[in-house]
Amino acid sequence: MTGPLLRIEGLTKRFHSGGGLFSRERAMIAVRDVSLEIARGEVLGVVGESGCGKSTLARLILRLIEATNGRIVFDGTELTALPASALRAMRKRMAMVFQDPYSSLDPRFTLARVLAEPFRVQSRAMPPDAVAAMLAAVGLPETLATSYPHQLSGGQRQRVGIARALALRPDFVVLDEPTASLDVSIQAQIIALLADLRDKMGLTYLFISHDLGLVRYFCDRIVVMYLGSVVEVLPDTKAAPRHPYTDALMRSGFAPDPARRREIAPLGGEIPSPFALPAGCAFTTRCAFASDRCRSERPVLSQDPAHPVACFHPL
Amino acid sequence: MSPLLELSRVSVAIGKVALLDRISLSVEPGRILGLVGESGSGKSLTAMAAIGLLPLIGGRVTEGEVRFAGRDIAAMSEAERRALRGRRIGFVTQNPMTALDPVQRIGGQVDIVSRMHLRLTKTAARARTLDLLTQLRIPDAAAVVDAYPHQLSGGMKQRIVIAMALAGEPELIIADEPTTALDVTVQAQIIQILGALVRDRGLALLLITHDMGVIAQICDRVAVLYCGRLAEEGPVGPIFAAPAHPYTAALIDCIPQEGTARGSLRGIPGAVPSALAFSTGCRFHPRCRRATGLCQDSAPPLLPRDAGSVACHHAGAAP
Ligand SMILES: Nc1ncnc2c1ncn2[C@@H]1O[C@H](COP(=O)(O)OP(=O)(O)OP(=O)(O)O)[C@@H](O)[C@H]1O
Ligand SMILES: Nc1ncnc2c1ncn2[C@@H]1O[C@H](COP(=O)(O)OP(=O)(O)O)[C@@H](O)[C@H]1O
Ligand code: SF4
Ligand code: SF4
Ligand SMILES: [Mg+2]
Ligand SMILES: [Mg+2]
Repeated sequence: MTGPLLRIEGLTKRFHSGGGLFSRERAMIAVRDVSLEIARGEVLGVVGESGCGKSTLARLILRLIEATNGRIVFDGTELTALPASALRAMRKRMAMVFQDPYSSLDPRFTLARVLAEPFRVQSRAMPPDAVAAMLAAVGLPETLATSYPHQLSGGQRQRVGIARALALRPDFVVLDEPTASLDVSIQAQIIALLADLRDKMGLTYLFISHDLGLVRYFCDRIVVMYLGSVVEVLPDTKAAPRHPYTDALMRSGFAPDPARRREIAPLGGEIPSPFALPAGCAFTTRCAFASDRCRSERPVLSQDPAHPVACFHPL
Repeated sequence: MSPLLELSRVSVAIGKVALLDRISLSVEPGRILGLVGESGSGKSLTAMAAIGLLPLIGGRVTEGEVRFAGRDIAAMSEAERRALRGRRIGFVTQNPMTALDPVQRIGGQVDIVSRMHLRLTKTAARARTLDLLTQLRIPDAAAVVDAYPHQLSGGMKQRIVIAMALAGEPELIIADEPTTALDVTVQAQIIQILGALVRDRGLALLLITHDMGVIAQICDRVAVLYCGRLAEEGPVGPIFAAPAHPYTAALIDCIPQEGTARGSLRGIPGAVPSALAFSTGCRFHPRCRRATGLCQDSAPPLLPRDAGSVACHHAGAAP
């Protein structure tokens, strides 16, 4: 089958807060008009600072939350229009690995039970030896089947999270900062495991991270988000940034090499409150190139398929 | 220059469990020492030992001594140690919320440090607080002093904690993973601020991190810790150019860089064991690519090497 595995169009999520007796209701847009495609077998990276909407985007795609607007088309089928029963069947082809391996596993369940759970939810018979096979696939000994999550290290727990996500042999996996709470030594192990699993099982990944260096190492294309919007799509890992924000992200990382020490020119300004975004480009408060036009008009993502960017004065 | 903080063969235990084994390090004024290692390697305990806070967690120094400006802190009274902590040593923790009182306004929390340790009046302390916040590039400091912690972003809160650490005009700052929970853009700001403080005021800085990128960016020397023991210590230039200890090399190799070939990072196999399950011989041997029978049987001593020291039976550049 040809065509992208996943296509999203104009996806938007608005959250409301407050509105009680004493506080005025406020609305914020966590994800604004996001459109993108993921090809089969691709690893698409999503990068951006804390609060920019990465996890919300992931939850929208898996329909764990409802979009305010927009369409999600998975393997030719529009999910947003699907009745509940058909959606459930579709859902087993999509899975998610969560950011925090400490809270994402039920502490009362043994690993055998944790790994049987996806089968139970889908009312599917679990093949014999499935637990041992799943543990082996993520490099864990079978003997851990009777252990509880609290008996594992962070890295082991995240391996269990990956095994659980792959239990029903999905085609598409959303990885939401799967290594953010781990040491770099364990992060590298987990990334290597994810790469091996992709090759073996023909998986397609949406990989979320706030670490541009890691995303550039692991992903094929990279979506850069800022305050809910996609501001740039890097067509490959070598592409030079065209958006001033992407450029700032790249300059913020430190190479493990004192010979390449650099004069740090940190991004000035503060991130505006998501409840009170500037009228024009959301990045104006921190951008060295901001012009009057930037302050009054919101730039949209260029339709340039080679390298889309949302900026009036791209680099 | 003589060191401001010096740990000489310091061992630490909690109850019967030995957690740190003969750690030696020193920090000089105007210099930054990085302390690096995976989670559980003993970095925070080393910091606790350095400021005499082990009793707080039921720990104690079982061997060796900690000297501040030449004085053994074990020989000081608790009152002297307390004065030392707020006044001459500033402490920045990983989680700013543990240092900030959620129900008190920011201004009062910073003011109290200089009122207590510098005996400033209320007005003088507030002026000093505003000055500090401005120096730390906190926008609209006059409004921030009236805010509560939850109203600030993580990066702002961390800068407030740095302001509190600086308020007593310390000579030494100990920062325990000050940027681990922050975005890279904010991390870059905080690291720049810390670097400038050392350069401009001649502060000594003990910077704890698990990120070799941060070490390479601002530290003068680095001490690598594994399972409560020093693996390697020395100036950053030679250590990054040719790490002698396999653990140091492995930590550096975990970080993807410009040009790192896809699929080439494998990480360090296994994980840091708990203190109850430290290996015999070299504690790193179950995870070490260079390990031999000798490594299983005997612990490598920490020996001088070039301008630093290293503890490995097969020290040298990777083959
Ligand atoms: N209060 C305590 N009681 C018992 N053991 C402790 C205590 N605090 C630390 N340890 C043990 O001491 C060792 C080192 O801990 P420490 O917290 O100093 O490591 P760390 O390098 O700072 O790790 P992290 O980066 O996770 O904070 C670990 O094995 C840890 O389990
Ligand atoms: N259930 C919710 N109710 C209100 N606001 C929310 C909710 N979930 C997320 N948000 C807000 O949406 C924005 C994006 O959140 P999130 O997707 O979690 O970002 P990230 O994962 O990039 O940190 C944040 O400002 C967050 O506070
Ligand atoms: S549109 Fe203007 S303010 Fe926004 S990123 Fe581009 S130059 Fe900067
Ligand atoms: S002593 Fe042996 S096991 Fe330990 S780091 Fe050196 S080579 Fe590796
Ligand atoms: Mg998130
Ligand atoms: Mg610690």
